[in-house]
Amino acid sequence: MASANASYGQKEASDQNFDYMFKILIIGNSSVGKTSFLFRYADDSFTPAFVSTVGIDFKVKTIYRNDKRIKLQIWDTAGQERYRTITTAYYRGAMGFILMYDITNEESFNAVQDWATQIKTYSWDNAQVLLVGNKCDMEDERVVAAERGRQLSEQLGFEYFEASAKDNINVKQTFERLVDVICERMSDSLDNADPTVTGGKQGPQLSEQPQRSHQDCAC
Amino acid sequence: MAADSDPETEVFEITDFTTASEWERFVSRVEEVLNDWKLIGSSAGRSSPEKGEYTSGTWEEKSQEINFADFKFSITHHYLKQDSDTSDLKEELEEDAFPLAMQDLLCMNNDFPPRAHCLVRWYGMREFLVISPGTNCEAITSESKCNLLLSSVSISLANSGCQVPMFVQIQQKWRRLYAGECQGPGVRTDFEMVHLRKVPSQYNHLSGLLDIFKSKIGCPLTPLPPITIAIRFTYVLQDWQQYSWPQQPPDFDALLGGEVGGVEFGKLPFGACEDPISELHLATTWPHLTEGIVVDNDVYSDLDPLQAPHWSVRVRKAENPQCLLGDFLNEFFKLCSRKESTEEILGRGLTEEEGKENTDLSAALSKLTEPAAVPMSKLSVSSMVHSARKHIRRHRRVDESPLSNDVLNSILLYLFPDAAVERSSAATSDNSEGRAAPPNTGGRSEHDKDSDYNLFNQLKSAPSDSLTYRLALCVCLVNFYHGGVRALAHLWQEFVLEMRYRWENNHLVYGLASGAPDLRCCLLHQKLQMLNCCIERKRARDESRKASDGGKERERQLSGGGENGRRGPESATGAGSGAAREASPGKSWDSWSDSEDEFFECLSDQEEAAAAKEGEAEKGGAGSSRAKPPDGRLHPHGNMTLLNSSSEPLYIPVTQEPAPMTEDLLEEQSEVLAKLGTSAEGAHLRARMQSACLLSDMESFKAANPGCSLEDFVRWYSPRDYVEEEVVDEAGAAVLRGELSARMKIPGNMWAEAWDTARSVPARRQKRLFDDTKEAEKVLHYLSVQKPADLTRHLLPCILHAAILKLKEEESVEDIPSVKKAVQQATSHASKQLRHPNPDHKKLEEVISQLVAVETVIARARSLKAKFGVGKAEAGEDSEDLEKFVSSLLEEPEVAVLGAGRGPAGSIIHKLFVSAQRAALLAPLDDDLVRPGGGAEDRKPMGGGLNMPDFPPPAGREILLRTCVPRPAPYSKALPQRLFCVFMRDDFRLAGALSSDTSFF
Repeated sequence: MASANASYGQKEASDQNFDYMFKILIIGNSSVGKTSFLFRYADDSFTPAFVSTVGIDFKVKTIYRNDKRIKLQIWDTAGQERYRTITTAYYRGAMGFILMYDITNEESFNAVQDWATQIKTYSWDNAQVLLVGNKCDMEDERVVAAERGRQLSEQLGFEYFEASAKDNINVKQTFERLVDVICERMSDSLDNADPTVTGGKQGPQLSEQPQRSHQDCAC
Repeated sequence: MAADSDPETEVFEITDFTTASEWERFVSRVEEVLNDWKLIGSSAGRSSPEKGEYTSGTWEEKSQEINFADFKFSITHHYLKQDSDTSDLKEELEEDAFPLAMQDLLCMNNDFPPRAHCLVRWYGMREFLVISPGTNCEAITSESKCNLLLSSVSISLANSGCQVPMFVQIQQKWRRLYAGECQGPGVRTDFEMVHLRKVPSQYNHLSGLLDIFKSKIGCPLTPLPPITIAIRFTYVLQDWQQYSWPQQPPDFDALLGGEVGGVEFGKLPFGACEDPISELHLATTWPHLTEGIVVDNDVYSDLDPLQAPHWSVRVRKAENPQCLLGDFLNEFFKLCSRKESTEEILGRGLTEEEGKENTDLSAALSKLTEPAAVPMSKLSVSSMVHSARKHIRRHRRVDESPLSNDVLNSILLYLFPDAAVERSSAATSDNSEGRAAPPNTGGRSEHDKDSDYNLFNQLKSAPSDSLTYRLALCVCLVNFYHGGVRALAHLWQEFVLEMRYRWENNHLVYGLASGAPDLRCCLLHQKLQMLNCCIERKRARDESRKASDGGKERERQLSGGGENGRRGPESATGAGSGAAREASPGKSWDSWSDSEDEFFECLSDQEEAAAAKEGEAEKGGAGSSRAKPPDGRLHPHGNMTLLNSSSEPLYIPVTQEPAPMTEDLLEEQSEVLAKLGTSAEGAHLRARMQSACLLSDMESFKAANPGCSLEDFVRWYSPRDYVEEEVVDEAGAAVLRGELSARMKIPGNMWAEAWDTARSVPARRQKRLFDDTKEAEKVLHYLSVQKPADLTRHLLPCILHAAILKLKEEESVEDIPSVKKAVQQATSHASKQLRHPNPDHKKLEEVISQLVAVETVIARARSLKAKFGVGKAEAGEDSEDLEKFVSSLLEEPEVAVLGAGRGPAGSIIHKLFVSAQRAALLAPLDDDLVRPGGGAEDRKPMGGGLNMPDFPPPAGREILLRTCVPRPAPYSKALPQRLFCVFMRDDFRLAGALSSDTSFF
């Protein structure tokens, strides 16, 4: 969406100043806390109840990694079953996924396998995925043991975090880890002159300076 | 030298006269280079090279420029890279060991290396230096210049103590004439060379050469120490007699003759058009003979190639043989850079006519599809296609049309096999309702699908049984055989016409997976799938209307006015015949699309019938609670009942499908969403923009569940937003009490807001979420504006996909490991390029040349296998050896023949030569005339034939003589001596390395 950036650049001049843009998707069952998680990260705010997301929404956050400005365009999706077809269309082109479940809700954990399959089907095969068990502040109501989360993540080959948007636990770490993983993957691929990581429309930005990213992004 | 003329008076300062002249400067420059490269000191002590190491090891070279006055030379160091295990050996060295090069002169492990610098072949050294005139400098032709250079070499070697032999290239480069020397402690080897066009007859055999060698050595000892001899004769086979290259270029003329099934169009051609193996070189070697064992003089020779103890073969591959698949790919790829539009190619008049044509056509169609005039089932696709085309041809003179009728017909039949099926079924029966849903996938095995899936996903092409893929093949074929870019433009025009026809006549496009566009495929494929989605929706709508026509009076009343529901078959309305229709009075909300179709009808009439039945059944009971009867029910949601009336089951409504999207639409939409920014208002606006689906679902839900509440809706739609709690009521009994989640209770939230605005309308009466008419027109427009180059770019992934599949298929027959790997590499390379939205032209070219290279290798393997009869009926261990032999011929520069002339491969080679000989010698009656006179060819024929030799005269003879004798005096040290002789047609060379003792002479 580099092209989009150029067109609304005047209004949000700061947005234009970035070296790379990563598109990240947050997915998972309804009301596991995806929107809260995103608001905690992007705005550092927390509200006990956000309006249930309709369709797809997004936030932007720019971070620094090895002297590079990386703009994260984080898309927040509706978790309801009915929105699956709409949201999966956005999977292609995402460089990273945060797959979220609610540690106080068994069903959301059971659905993780399903979501992982969806990612596999609809995303680029080199998209990176992190598994996050949210609401770890609600220890009293926990039904999914951390160990089970870890086991599942190993089985799926994802990295794993338990986090709480409410108490601000592991939120920043999750995103930063995901960015690091994407950077690693990118520098690997750039060795082989792989344009795919630069992701669809982001292509121009990255391919203009493959050398730099190769050196700097081996974070 | 420069100082000579100067009188002493001019010397006014002290000058270092040792480097005063150009010559001295040159010598010291050479020494510097030797120092820089660390070539000083003893090189002896390294073990002698392993057998074959000169071939298997890696040779390296470095060079530098040096000047002699203003004359440029380059000095180059060639050496075999060896593991440095020399350090510990060095200590045990004798002081005066021979330099390495002298030891190498006698080493027999690497005689006749198949791939090496000529000096390596002639002198057997693993390390040497060459001084040759720089580029653009004239050759050293005068003897004095040569001597001057050799003196320089001699001085610098002596000064520096370098033991690496150093050569000077003299005469023209192509003559490869070198002179040089090597110095060691108390020893020196002189390298001398003779190069002539013709062989003096007295030296044209072994005994003559032995005489030269002996006289050169001038050894005073008697008897002379034995001379070892190695001989290699090389025979060239160019005329593969009994074997004719089996590749028959496909007979494409037959295509034009009619009677062509679809098969030809589904395949890519493969193979070389010329023999990719041009020559076979047989080298027969006698690696170790001693003087007196063999006789070879001007009247008789023992050297019969059949008797040679060692045979080896190399093949000469044709450079870039013309290969069919490669030509196809390259020609196709060239189209990508064409700039012309279809009109420019076909001529403006033509497309204008085509425009008229379209309106004509749809007018004609609307006549045909007048309600009750002709039932839809009577129209067969094929007949329509044909009539459409006839129409075009009326406007176009026959010779103008780039694609001939027959070709076009067979292509269209291949692309749209459903049309053919129809034609025959229409002839037999009128029951063509069955073809309403053509099979969208061919009958392919699961396994095939799996590997194919991976490939199309990797390349972003399309499944190999899809229309897009077949179109790509046709376009490629048409481009190559049937008229290039004009024919392509013509085909594309026909294709787009057919698409429009199918849309207007509700015929699904055959050969596309149903459902929403597959974003893993190429954009063109997605567009076609999109068109199919539109057709499907339109058809469903039409069918439900037909069904309601059939007998549901109730429906008629509900639809308000009855006009909208009954326009008969939809087919003729595409282009705008419906503009006259008035909007339905009931729908006041602003139209989301500019289409005239206000209503979405539910997907199938069965569903509706079921829903209607429900409605009927419900009328008595539920109807009392609310005026409006329930409508558009799909099925009950488990055992749930409405919260307000516990007796009423909760029904899941029939809902509208969300709009299918192609990747460009999706991109567009997400850009629009992103442009709203990240502010709260932006987010709200975004939610609003996306709420159409939510609103529609709510309306359907309300229609299906009269008297329901938002809680009911949420229990179905987003169950976790309905929180149930067990509470104890006043009576002390545990009761489940539920309420909306906190977020659903936020005042004025999107969901509550939508719920309040939602009216009770079943899905089929709602405004369409997906305007199929508009989308279909968009797709058709998109297709029609694609230039031939655009089309090529769209289809390139499919063609590469097809080429890779073809290579894989051909490879599986031959089983060549290197090819397997190369195909994989090419695939991943292609995958990386094609995923990029705008693949780099150069990189794609690379991919194609990779694929072509693979094709060439396979073609070579085929050619060789055919020549050696591999894969023919007779099995056994022989054939296994033979197979191994053939595959190593492909990969190694030279392959030894097991069992020499008596082995299985040897006897085949023998036969090949015999038949080539027979053909060459029998054809002209007097075979003396054909024999070229003089030189090597004059010699007696070898081999056991009666009056015709089995083998032609050798193309090259190499004789290597070696000994170790004291020189120049009988009391000198015994030193290595070597003479390498090469006889070729018009080329005779003696390369001698004669060592002498510089201390005792």
